[in-house]
Amino acid sequence: MRADRKETLRYLGYHGQEIEEKTAQMIEEVQAELERASTPKYIYQEYACEVTQDKVKLAELTIESKNLAVNLKGCERAVLLAATIGRAADFMIKKYSISNMAKAAIVQAAGAACIESYVDEVEQVIRGDANQRGLYLRPRFSPGYGDFSLECQRDIFQMLECHKRIGVALTSGNLMMPSKSVTAIIGLTTKERESCQMVKCSLCAKTDCEFRILSPAEGGE
Amino acid sequence: MSFKDELGKKILFFDGAMGTMLQERGLQSGELPEIWNVTKEEIICDIHRQYLDAGCDIVKANTFGVNPFKMKGTGYTCEELTEKGIALVKRAIAKSGRKAYAALDIGSLGKLLEPLGDLSFEEAYEAFKPMCIAGEQAGADFCLIETMNDTYEIKAAVLAAKENTSLPIVVTMVFDEDGKLLTGADMEAAVAMLEGLRVDALGLNCGFGPDVMQGFLPRLRQVTSLPIVLNPNAGLPVVVDGKTSFHVGPEEFAAIMKEIALEGVSVMGGCCGTTPAHIRALVEACRDIRAMELTDKQRSVVSSYTHAVVFDERPKIIGERINPTGKSRFKQALRENDLEYIYKEALAQQDRGAHILDVNVGLPEIDEVRMMRAVVSGLQGITDLPLQIDTSDAVAMETAMRLYNGKPLINSVNGKQESMDAVFPLVAKYGGMVVCLTLDEGGIPGTAAGRIEIAKKIIAEAAKYGIDKNDLLIDTLTMTISTGQDNAGITLDALYHVRHVLGVHTTLGVSNISFGLPQRERVNTAFFTIALSKGLSAGIINPNSEAMMAAYHSYCALNGSDSQCADYIAHYSSQEEQTKAAVDKSGEISLFDAVVRGLSESAYQAAKRELESKKPLEVIDGALIPALDKVGQGFEKKTVFLPQLLMSADAAKAGFDAIKEHLQAEGGASASKGTVVIATVKGDIHDIGKNIVKVLLENYGFSVIDLGKDVPPELVVETAKEHDVKLVGLSALMTTTVANMEITIKMLKKELPGCKVMVGGAVLTQTYADMIGADFYSKDAMGSVRYANELFR
Repeated sequence: MRADRKETLRYLGYHGQEIEEKTAQMIEEVQAELERASTPKYIYQEYACEVTQDKVKLAELTIESKNLAVNLKGCERAVLLAATIGRAADFMIKKYSISNMAKAAIVQAAGAACIESYVDEVEQVIRGDANQRGLYLRPRFSPGYGDFSLECQRDIFQMLECHKRIGVALTSGNLMMPSKSVTAIIGLTTKERESCQMVKCSLCAKTDCEFRILSPAEGGE
Repeated sequence: MSFKDELGKKILFFDGAMGTMLQERGLQSGELPEIWNVTKEEIICDIHRQYLDAGCDIVKANTFGVNPFKMKGTGYTCEELTEKGIALVKRAIAKSGRKAYAALDIGSLGKLLEPLGDLSFEEAYEAFKPMCIAGEQAGADFCLIETMNDTYEIKAAVLAAKENTSLPIVVTMVFDEDGKLLTGADMEAAVAMLEGLRVDALGLNCGFGPDVMQGFLPRLRQVTSLPIVLNPNAGLPVVVDGKTSFHVGPEEFAAIMKEIALEGVSVMGGCCGTTPAHIRALVEACRDIRAMELTDKQRSVVSSYTHAVVFDERPKIIGERINPTGKSRFKQALRENDLEYIYKEALAQQDRGAHILDVNVGLPEIDEVRMMRAVVSGLQGITDLPLQIDTSDAVAMETAMRLYNGKPLINSVNGKQESMDAVFPLVAKYGGMVVCLTLDEGGIPGTAAGRIEIAKKIIAEAAKYGIDKNDLLIDTLTMTISTGQDNAGITLDALYHVRHVLGVHTTLGVSNISFGLPQRERVNTAFFTIALSKGLSAGIINPNSEAMMAAYHSYCALNGSDSQCADYIAHYSSQEEQTKAAVDKSGEISLFDAVVRGLSESAYQAAKRELESKKPLEVIDGALIPALDKVGQGFEKKTVFLPQLLMSADAAKAGFDAIKEHLQAEGGASASKGTVVIATVKGDIHDIGKNIVKVLLENYGFSVIDLGKDVPPELVVETAKEHDVKLVGLSALMTTTVANMEITIKMLKKELPGCKVMVGGAVLTQTYADMIGADFYSKDAMGSVRYANELFR
């Protein structure tokens, strides 16, 4: 697992300013420290799924979400995934918030970049396995995206035994701890051409977000 | 014979999996297995019976998942499911006609404890308590705390069992492929804590099959003196369509377990995926093998939540800086509840190479128990070094030992009966090593022989509590040579004797030696080096002293404990460069430039220089604020990048520190522009944005009361009222917690109509902020400073 340097800069709100050498060096050092200290872990399970207009059924779990239903439309199987880079990021943020705020902000950004690239790696594993069976991956979709309620985290955590297997637990407000963790559902489709959609940012209501990645429809890449 | 009598004498066999068997009998995913204790008791009893018939000596009750969090809303209480679980085991044992033990099975609560999670240590303790009591009442033979991956949660469970029952305690944990718990704790740290807590046996379960666990055992055998328990899975889990299966069959399982038994183990059985067939094969293969011989590993060790520190040939550094004695700035921090100042001291000492941190927060005018609780919890969130709990208040000492996630060092006990009566029971209960001062009712003996006698007395008294001399660290007391030339010799002679004749580890508060002399560091380093060569195991020193650390590193290179001088070379090969760089930096850079360039140390020095000729306010308005404005404007225009803004903020803070010290020395109080209360709202735990706002507001001269994260609305209102503040800042990251922000704002507006509220956070927008009734939406940290400046103008 490695933080994508460009992503770290993006999460830090980088807009092409000049970066002093001292700052660049600090970013590099902190990223390396985080990568060394992190203990990434994942778990996933594949289920048969039933998708209707506004509901998705995975084993015993029924999720009411139109956005998810659109994302999984036509899929007969889906993967439930949880991943984390571990506790190091949270501890480093706490520590550096006291001794060096710039480093705390860098850990925050690099941690976000790390978990993203780690989930990409895990997705590669899932993709490899799926492709062998003639299945293709839909973009991953997480609780909290669109109308996919965070409440579903409770069930996902129970199904995947996240606490026992990868050390991630939910707070009473359904947030994940360690904070640099991800849960997601990935639909498996038999049709390759349906396997790519830009969903993440384009679904989010915060259109003025500094970190928004534009989808092609919005004039992005 | 009781379980405790048999434990370690012969190999005892656990049963195998319960969950796997229940799934075969129709348990659905998501269904709570423990409820079957009531609804399908015959099935549970039958499974126990099958394991008994297979030959196991211990049956785990079907109580693994019983806890108040999981039972909530099920209509069953923890007590009834626990009692029923034990009763079913006893019924099965009676029916089988065999002699076997009933284990009360306690698993993880499934929540994360503080500092990372939202469950406090005492809440965890309370959650485990009812099961322990019910289990003992129902007739359990011992308490098995299993499948654990967090030492802190284990400690809560062990204390719940110890304080509320007289059951023997066995703990088994899940280590990952690197031999660490999910919290990052290594095996040595977990073992140190558990042996300190006086559990009866410990070991591994779940996670892996026997083959992988076999690899972990040599390390475990090396560090524990306790019986070892091993309950592996039948291999790694394979999941198909949500159904989990395990693929190591009974014969293969038993074959590896036999190898393990021959290498040495005390108790063995199975976890996930194992069946009565596995246990039958295991018992048949290992029945005639002798149990591992138990030997005392003679380790002197303390631990933090991640690692252990072992007292051995390589001396250790105990950082002495967290202590108000003779430090007015530290006293001020304690009085003002400025914990950040204390935490900074901790981090600085860690960076300098301290192995253990002494924590003394006693001051006559403050509540030491409350302060000790806050500081120990806080330090455990930011440093992974073991702590030395330094207090003469027995209540503060117990509070800290209870809360401590690991095996602490205690400072101190002495030869007075009263002191030993107070401290040793705590060490026997919570575990710990303890610093023993060689003084007693007769004072400090003026001879080495006198101090040695007291050391012997303390060792003998500790033994009465089952505290081994390996858990003592004898301090032969450093007395200044300015009042008696023999003082060094007496201390060192006694030290040598304790270390080499009595065979007990030693410590000294080194710098006392030079009290009353000029240029104390010169004497301190010489004395430190001599003491090390006489057998000093751990020096309590100031690690920020370059000379003391140099003496330490040099000594380790000389006594052979620094293999190939690697550590010495790592520290000093780049020293020349560093000295040069330091000279460049001190090239008189102005305060303004230091802040703009984000150089903390230079800013601190520059501020000190300016204060020689200018008034504090001139320094603030003339250099600090203009520099911050420049960087802040750059940030808003997006020409300055966030980390650079924050480096400047830290540098400005260093400048303000110099001003604070200056004012403190002159006896004046620091002026504040006004007080702002800030908080991350209830339910939200992402608070870095709020922390950035805090730093910047402080830079601009505001006093900030930071309530932290996950803050209930009531607390925000209460604090705002108490300090009668004009401005409250709230942050939220999640859409779901914006609702709590709205509730907080409503309550504030009702109770404190004149108070303004500014909000910020990833999901917020101007529209959102208007909707929930905020007075100001700050899109970044600088925005909040601008708003506060306008408001307080």
